[in-house]
Amino acid sequence: MQNSSGMHENEAAKSGRSSVFVVSARKRKLQKISQKSGEGTLLLIASFVAIVVLFIFWFVARDAVPYFRLRGFQEFFTSSEWYPADEPPRFGALAIIYGSIMVTLGSALIAVPMGVIASICLSDILPFTVRQYVKPVIEMLAAIPSVAYGFFALVVFAPLLQNVGGPILMWTWWVIAAPVLLLAVIVASELLTAPIEKEPKKKVLHLVSALFLGSLALLFLYFVGRHLQGLVIMSGTNALNVSIILSFMALPTIVSVSEDALQAVGRELREGSYALGATRAETIIKTVLPAASSGILAAVILGIMRALGETMVVWMASGNSSHIPDPFFNYLESIRTLTATIAGDMGEADQVTGSARFHVLFAMGLLLLVVSFVSNFISERIVVRQRKVLSGQ
Amino acid sequence: MNLGTRKLLDRSFTALGIGSIIIMGLALLVVLVPIVSNGIGALVFRETVEHRKLLLSEFHRGDAGDLEKELVISNGYRQKAFDILAAFDRELEQMEPERQEVYRESYEQVRTALRVLLGPLPGEELPELTRFRYGQTRWDKAEEKLHDLLYEQKWDYSNPDVIAKPNDVSRASIFAGTSLVRLFPYVEENIDRMMMPQWTIYWGFITDSSLDSHFFGGIWPEIQGTIFLAIGAMIFAFPLGVIAAIYFTEYAREGFLNSLLRSANSTLAGVPSIVFGLFGLAFFINTLHVSESKSVLAGSLTLAIMILPTIIRAAEEAILSVPKTYKEASLGLGSTKWNTIMTVILPAALPGILTGGVISLGRAAGETAPIIFTAAVSVGTAIGLGDVLSSPTPALSWNIYNLASEHEAAAQIRHVQYGMVLSLVMIVLLLNLSAVILRARISKKLKG
Repeated sequence: MQNSSGMHENEAAKSGRSSVFVVSARKRKLQKISQKSGEGTLLLIASFVAIVVLFIFWFVARDAVPYFRLRGFQEFFTSSEWYPADEPPRFGALAIIYGSIMVTLGSALIAVPMGVIASICLSDILPFTVRQYVKPVIEMLAAIPSVAYGFFALVVFAPLLQNVGGPILMWTWWVIAAPVLLLAVIVASELLTAPIEKEPKKKVLHLVSALFLGSLALLFLYFVGRHLQGLVIMSGTNALNVSIILSFMALPTIVSVSEDALQAVGRELREGSYALGATRAETIIKTVLPAASSGILAAVILGIMRALGETMVVWMASGNSSHIPDPFFNYLESIRTLTATIAGDMGEADQVTGSARFHVLFAMGLLLLVVSFVSNFISERIVVRQRKVLSGQ
Repeated sequence: MNLGTRKLLDRSFTALGIGSIIIMGLALLVVLVPIVSNGIGALVFRETVEHRKLLLSEFHRGDAGDLEKELVISNGYRQKAFDILAAFDRELEQMEPERQEVYRESYEQVRTALRVLLGPLPGEELPELTRFRYGQTRWDKAEEKLHDLLYEQKWDYSNPDVIAKPNDVSRASIFAGTSLVRLFPYVEENIDRMMMPQWTIYWGFITDSSLDSHFFGGIWPEIQGTIFLAIGAMIFAFPLGVIAAIYFTEYAREGFLNSLLRSANSTLAGVPSIVFGLFGLAFFINTLHVSESKSVLAGSLTLAIMILPTIIRAAEEAILSVPKTYKEASLGLGSTKWNTIMTVILPAALPGILTGGVISLGRAAGETAPIIFTAAVSVGTAIGLGDVLSSPTPALSWNIYNLASEHEAAAQIRHVQYGMVLSLVMIVLLLNLSAVILRARISKKLKG
């Protein structure tokens, strides 16, 4: 039918007679061409992002390779002597890489538990009206520019930490550890006495073990607290300061992405668990969290990347001293990170474009880029897989 | 476990969740409160007569006649302090050399402190730097400097095991028995007559250029630079992002190419901001040579690449949230796909798209790392619109870093730094707020 009408139009066009069909055929053809070309243009513009990603890799790598060609790989990754201005210069970035890892881990230690619990609270516990007030708080935390956080860390938080850091640490320890230990004592004493059958004996033993464990916990709390209070913090611009600030910058990402993952777990799973008699906490921990675990993992990876890639806070408040703290987990010492080194050393290095001193900063940039690419790729795979699993059920 | 314990655990789990949300709220307060309270101090403060003098002679603002009258009174009180100095000068001349040695150094400190407080002493040359030509312009600073005049800070090194602590020693006790001892109670009593503090709102902080590397004046060049950079980034990123979003939502077919483009988008979103700076330096400046060196153009392009994924995502979400029936009705009436997109889908998605755009604008304004190597300079005057292609600009985000970390007298200009941080935070938060309002208003309009 369509074929025949098309032939008819063709004939009409050949004979040159004016007819409605001729116009519409031409118009349709034109339309089709313009549509195809339009779509092509759109595709071109949409693939601009991919081109940009390629360009970023290419141009950062192009300036990073000369460094490795000049100095090789060994020094960069194994030495911790960073003296780029000396003669001969030394470019050992181990301490700097370690500094990056340290603040990233430190902020993850704070942000991951808090963020996951907060997202659970948002998706499962809080009523809708309260949620509406919490969301803007998280959005504002995410919106505050990083340099404002950096300024806060440097001008407000660092002096505070330096002057009253010990008491602050002690109070934080008490506030966090005391309730946790109290719960642990209650649960542990109950579990210990669970096998005993006889009623009066059980009660007495329960009480005794609770008192014993409780006094142990209290002693532990007290001595750790006293140790923390006695700590002398030489400089407020240290890894602890940066980790705390970075954790609050990573929190919004973790909360919003893992909340999405928790929401994606259907009602049916939760209701099934409630029907079996589980409490809300048990439902969340034993049913919802395992189902959402991969999405939460993706959220954690994204949040950690935010902390690793952050520049201004670490540049302003980490102290910028390139050494591995002693002992290696000492968060009260100043450190230096990859991002801060790139930002801080470029000013002196870019007058000598072409030197190892210039290219080593690009090598650091490439390292960051590769790490962010890999972790992004992993988190994306995880999200895709979770979506498949959840929709497959 | 028995039921009681399980319930207890359940409750404490809830408490833990609520606690962590409360901590997040508290963190926001803890960060914002000092920034807001100290930042307002850059705008609203008690200005001294020195500030009015500065405004008149450097910015040609204020009433010359009024100031003249004030200066007559103020100088009258100051003159008595200077008279005491002159008297002590003569007394010092007549002392035997050993006693002179005792007082010499402390006396120099007194003169310096008085100079810092009131400006150049009589008979001294007008200093080169503007910051030394005037006394304290802010009353809060004047009170600090008055304390420096009245007390000498001595460090206590007697116990080598403890970190040394400063000790205040009254200067009056150092000069006991000399004629200079009269100076200290006199200045302490008459300082407000010498300085004449007045509450003021200094709008010039927003509209003036800085004077003598931010010792005086305002932050207009930085605000303008931030506006230029953010708007420049939007000019490049917004159309591109919206068109890409149209492609992804309306034209893209599931397949390898599409998933590749999508992962490119999320990769770009995850690139650390400092790497954008490196890329901008290596590509826009060193390869394309869009400008000789740093420029607003290069910075805007770099920022545009950084905010592109955010804009694409927001626009995609907005387009996807347009009801399918709109599109089907339009197609059913015989309009083409492109027509449908332009006349039906985009207008309906506009609030969402604009919201995403405004939020990205805020992000571009607040970012520092991408513009360090591509656009930002620490000192500079406001540039004209014609210079954006070739010249760099000061910007709020960069100058906050620069003034707080690298300025030679960072501790003396904290109020300027706080004012800058507050301005930047305000710009970003107001943009976010207006995005929310915009969304509400336009969607109301569209509903009719």
